[in-house]
Amino acid sequence: MANKSIIKVEKLEKIYGKGTVKTHALRNISISIPKGSFSCLIGKSGHGKSTLLNLIGGLDRPTDGKIYIEGIDITKLNNSQLAELRAEKIGFVFQFFNLLPNLTALENIQASMMWGKTPKNDQSTKARELLDMVGLSDKANSKPSELSGGQQQRVSIARALANDPSILLMDEPTGNLDSESEEEVLKHIFNIHKSGKTIVIVTHNNELAKKADLLFEIRDGKLNNPKSKTRTK
Amino acid sequence: MNTIKFVFSNIFRSKGRFIFTFLGIAIGMASFVALLSMGGSMRGEVTRQAEALGSDIMIMPENICVFNQISIVTGDTISELMQYEIFDDMSAIEGLTVIPHLMQKTGVEGMSSVIGGVLPAETKDFRDWEIEKGEYFSSNEQNAIVLGSDFAITRGLTIGDTIPLGRDREELTVIGILKPTSSNDDAAMFMPLATTQRVFEKEGYISYMSARVDDITKMDYFIATIEATANVQASTDKQLLGNALTILGSVNMTLQLIAIVALIAAAFGIINTMMTAVYERRREIGILQAIGAKRSAIFKIFILESGLYGLFGGIAGVAIGLATSVFAGEYISKIGANELLKGVRPEASFDLWLILSAVAFSLVISIAAGLYPAWKASKMTPMEAINNG
Repeated sequence: MANKSIIKVEKLEKIYGKGTVKTHALRNISISIPKGSFSCLIGKSGHGKSTLLNLIGGLDRPTDGKIYIEGIDITKLNNSQLAELRAEKIGFVFQFFNLLPNLTALENIQASMMWGKTPKNDQSTKARELLDMVGLSDKANSKPSELSGGQQQRVSIARALANDPSILLMDEPTGNLDSESEEEVLKHIFNIHKSGKTIVIVTHNNELAKKADLLFEIRDGKLNNPKSKTRTK
Repeated sequence: MNTIKFVFSNIFRSKGRFIFTFLGIAIGMASFVALLSMGGSMRGEVTRQAEALGSDIMIMPENICVFNQISIVTGDTISELMQYEIFDDMSAIEGLTVIPHLMQKTGVEGMSSVIGGVLPAETKDFRDWEIEKGEYFSSNEQNAIVLGSDFAITRGLTIGDTIPLGRDREELTVIGILKPTSSNDDAAMFMPLATTQRVFEKEGYISYMSARVDDITKMDYFIATIEATANVQASTDKQLLGNALTILGSVNMTLQLIAIVALIAAAFGIINTMMTAVYERRREIGILQAIGAKRSAIFKIFILESGLYGLFGGIAGVAIGLATSVFAGEYISKIGANELLKGVRPEASFDLWLILSAVAFSLVISIAAGLYPAWKASKMTPMEAINNG
């Protein structure tokens, strides 16, 4: 595992709401995630794990603090630059798959390439390779509604890899799957990690957490240091 | 995958919504095009027919309304009549050649038809009529019919056929068919004036008169003399045409305003559809942003969607509108339900400029209608979109 931080968060604060009704979702979070590592964000529901993941992915903006992705302070980027960052450097996998329902499995992966740097002529081939990688080459023309939850999540993982991002952010990727599907999806996640991608996962799955290089527990919006750990392999 | 393909997949995902929105704009455009096209046709037809009148002055009952003036231009019947004696007074004016007309309406072969009562010899000379088939009237009292060339074709009538006319359904025989004249005479049938007056119980009356002058530089003098001689109204064919076009202009304007209201309603239909689409697809908007779509890309997707409604609706609307203007024009002309539309002819309807500008107009309206929904969609933050979707 390389030592250089690919993700660095400094004194991050996130407050939702205005006026008197405010929710302090994250307080003074500082973490550093090395390139190529496998990290898990754990903690109870509603304590701020997903908020932190979304801020790292540029889906939301912090109230205060800094987030560096590959050395770039993304809190200073405008909306358009943030979109470019998401297209090129970050792949998202959501708990509820979030595939586009009117597109086939193959088209969902290709849709992600619309805003990436994959040449147009290579998009179809690459999308098929990714589907093959997650074992769904026979489902290329199936719509999400024709796929099982596990299959949808595998398409979602393939989509996250469409633009060959260096970071994959996953929000409870197995949280909505049966155990058999969960095992299949995890197998693919570990394989992707082996290929050198930096993976950050929000999870309630203790078995998955045990395998993490880095573990961050978020409690009441704060980093719970005693439970957080750095594993050495 | 590209934006256009993606937009198409979005449009057709909800077929019911697509069809209803598409129909909204198509019907709006169809009414716009049909009314515009019929208006243009009416104008062209009235101009053509006025040019074919072949007379210098029309002598009409006093205080005749503008609508009836259009009827005279288009060779139709008018409600007011005048005494036949006035024709004698007019004929006495030196330098003026006058022929009377008694225009009546009747049903022939299930179609509304105009029958003109004429003085046989005088009208033949005045109008330069020639007989194509059969023979012409031999006297002003003859119980016979001569048909205009189009009239014979459209009603499927020929020499020897009989037509029941008047309250007593008196059978009168077709004795001749005129050569085409490129005027309204082609679309009418004729009887001697005295016969027409008898059959339609209008003894002593005529509808209007056509007059020719021997010196066109003295037109004002003749008009003044005519109006001083009897209680009638005299107009040159150009004045009549001007009056007819003025009234047609206001009719056209009214028709176009109605059509624009229909289009505005259709535009609100698009806004409604697109707002619903934005609301329903909030999560997808968030997903698109998560996978790298910029706000400008989201805006483009929704504007294209809206524009495609306009393009498809516009093309369909133009096609339906033109078809309507042709068939409705023919129908209206046949049933004679609307005096103003009776002159519509299908050949005048297909105007490339009208077609292209109507499609472009539909596109512009749809894009304008899509601006607000597209802006709303592009303003969402990714988290707002995903969490509220």
